[in-house]
Amino acid sequence: MLFNSIDFAIFLPIVFLLYWFVTNKNLKLQNFLIVISSYVFYGWWDWRFLSLILFSTIVDFLVGLMLSKEENETKRKALLWTSILVNLGFLGFFKYYNFFIENFTTAFSFFGNEIQPNSLNIILPVGISFYTFQTLSYSIDVYRKKLEPTKDFIAFSAFVSFFPQLVAGPIERATNLLPQFYKKRSFNYGRAIDGMRQILWGLFKKIVIADNCAEYANIIFNNSSEYSGSTLVLGAIFFSFQIYGDFSGYSDIAIGTSRLFGFNLKQNFAFPYFSRDIAEFWRRWHISLSTWFRDYLYIPLGGSRGGTWNKIRNIFLIFIVSGFWHGANWTFIIWGLLNAIYFLPLILTNNNRNNLEIVAKGKYLPTLKELSFMLLTFSFAAFAWIFFRAENIKHAINYISQIFSNSLFTFPIYDKDDYAKPIFLLILVFIIIEWFGREQEYAIARLSLLKHKGFRYAFYYAIIFIIFWFSGEQQEFIYFQF
Amino acid sequence: MKKYILSILFFTLPIIFVMFLADYFISNNHKKNHSYPGEIEVWNDIYAGNIDSDIAIYGSSRAWVHINPSILEDSLNLKAYNFGIDGHNFWLQYLRHKEYLKYNNSPKIILLAVDVFSLQKREDLYELDQFLPYMLWNKNIIKFTSSYNGFTYKDYYFPLLRYGGKIRKIENLFNLEQDDSIEITYRQNGFRGMEREWNNDLAKAKLKMSQYKIEIDSSSVNLFNQFLIESKENKIKVILVYTPEYIDGQKFVENRNEIIKIYKDFAIKYNLLFLDYSNDDLCTKKELFYNSSHLNKKGADIFTRKLSSELKARTHNRVDGSAPVATFLGKATMQAIHIENFAKENAANYFDYVFELIKKIDQRLIDKSEKTSIYSSRRLRS
Repeated sequence: MLFNSIDFAIFLPIVFLLYWFVTNKNLKLQNFLIVISSYVFYGWWDWRFLSLILFSTIVDFLVGLMLSKEENETKRKALLWTSILVNLGFLGFFKYYNFFIENFTTAFSFFGNEIQPNSLNIILPVGISFYTFQTLSYSIDVYRKKLEPTKDFIAFSAFVSFFPQLVAGPIERATNLLPQFYKKRSFNYGRAIDGMRQILWGLFKKIVIADNCAEYANIIFNNSSEYSGSTLVLGAIFFSFQIYGDFSGYSDIAIGTSRLFGFNLKQNFAFPYFSRDIAEFWRRWHISLSTWFRDYLYIPLGGSRGGTWNKIRNIFLIFIVSGFWHGANWTFIIWGLLNAIYFLPLILTNNNRNNLEIVAKGKYLPTLKELSFMLLTFSFAAFAWIFFRAENIKHAINYISQIFSNSLFTFPIYDKDDYAKPIFLLILVFIIIEWFGREQEYAIARLSLLKHKGFRYAFYYAIIFIIFWFSGEQQEFIYFQF
Repeated sequence: MKKYILSILFFTLPIIFVMFLADYFISNNHKKNHSYPGEIEVWNDIYAGNIDSDIAIYGSSRAWVHINPSILEDSLNLKAYNFGIDGHNFWLQYLRHKEYLKYNNSPKIILLAVDVFSLQKREDLYELDQFLPYMLWNKNIIKFTSSYNGFTYKDYYFPLLRYGGKIRKIENLFNLEQDDSIEITYRQNGFRGMEREWNNDLAKAKLKMSQYKIEIDSSSVNLFNQFLIESKENKIKVILVYTPEYIDGQKFVENRNEIIKIYKDFAIKYNLLFLDYSNDDLCTKKELFYNSSHLNKKGADIFTRKLSSELKARTHNRVDGSAPVATFLGKATMQAIHIENFAKENAANYFDYVFELIKKIDQRLIDKSEKTSIYSSRRLRS
């Protein structure tokens, strides 16, 4: 079920009413309703893959229970590896099987040994990368004794399958989300309104910004050989806003929806395009994944401690794995590699934690220096997005080489019918709203401070009107494929 | 909680009200749109219930640009309307038929222009915006368009949502200053003669593939059958017409004969008249076509005269008009009228033409008499 669909618009109020009016007196029943609703939500796409979620839930639940009783370190490790192998096994099979088979075949034929590829027609279950990482974090935290394992299977199932964040995150930690299923939730008017507001903003980002940018990004990327260098630059910018609007929009809707049910999810995007360096960018982009890799991969590997070579190895490893997490394609690996290259000078010179606060905090405008650094960081990010968006490495290289041709200095031509002009204006308005809301959890959170109800309502109606008037062709959320 | 639900209600009620209001306003504006090409004009006529025709012409663009109702009217003294729907097979032709009968008087005769694509269902809902003003809660439109890649149920059941994102892209959709006094119509009684010259569509298609195989859609065949049964029950006479196709284009479709045989079988099964012009001498005249499937205006007028002559001959000489194969007298009359029409248009070549035609008539009469004897013997056997 897509958040930006009528199906969800019908599903959400039904679940909401059942949750607060029918099951509100019994916590177990309320959690059970969440599990059922989440399975309906997921099964709407393909019910067959519900068995994967259920299996993963059972395995990690049992592993957690056994870990709590087991003191023998070897056996505890074996239990942890069971969880890791099951979860990564699913991920490996559904997501990476064909990639490895095809690459092995290519490698063998390179050395003169022709073998028949045995690739399978595998459907990638939506959200598999998200919920496997979420359940893995539970097993690892229980193993590390940072978390008491749960004995409540319903609560644990609800934690694994919680529908707002099941298919595209944020990837929640058991330490944050699971305890919320143990406590009775009470309805809070302010929080619910805040949730609705965040949902509205998420829909704006997705339907207006991402879907409209997608139309032009798709045209330009799919026919890149026909366009000038300047137009291709524009294509990369369109894609940068598409992926940001798409993914952060999804996160906003997920967080807002959770609030309606009395849950707090962690912020997943913190205005990453206002970052002044790439380290800051990665502290603000897909925070739940970055921190997952930091806590479960980077730090166990030694993090930034140890010698220079260790640091370099760890940085490259974490970014390459992160790229590979996004998809079984060399383009994602190169994207990760590029980000590692951007990141490396900062970490080697100990400048990776220079910009911890949001830019120009407490001020209306940034300084010229801040603005230049923001633009530079955005340019680096947009350049790397070319690999992320391209069909394959060759496509990305052709795209980039065409950018750096003489046609870079011509006027970009991409839209015969002039439909894109208002989109530029909308992107500009979007940037301005994001800028003035950058110190909040999401850009329009500040609206709650407006005392005059009329102004607030006028703003909401205006957003609804813009969503209707400027909605682009409906596109699936990009991160569904990961 | 009560406060929250009331807030949501107070917030959403004005939105729902505005949605209905805007839907009405935008749909009315869209009904004045003459694009798609002119399909909305036909839908408007249908839903206004002001079509009072004796002859209804059905089919795709090969009905729409080929059969001129005003020529039929002049020749047969019967009112005619062309319901041809561009780019769609029988599936949506039938939708138009259902809506037409629902809101208007039934015709006496349906001229159904069949072609190689009539029984092939496409996946996309071509020119889908033509349905926008009429589709909200419209059972027939929902039934016949929902199997295509086009609309989802939200578009059919929720006001305004189907226009989402189209406001900027469809001309005059939200124009507050529409001038109703200016009435420019693209079609006349559903027909549009195309003032076009031969283009390179066929050459382009041949570059892509040497031959094309039509996939016959069984649901469309069943619907075709159902339509013929219903028409018989409603006492509407159906005449199948295979309008001219340029000779080179005919070779392009691999299973053309198989498809034409389906129509012939239907004609025999329901005792219908099937007028097949696919071997007519018009098919060799490139100057009468703008691509291999479509006659230009000149070609359409010549063809409609030819068709009306044949229909006239049939209604005068065989009142039931139900024979599957042209009769000797009917065919001869038709050719004679055709010579007369041609002579009026092209006096210089008159004698050459007559000479050629006499040769062709001789040959055809021999062929027909052979075929008639085959059919007669088949009928006797059955």
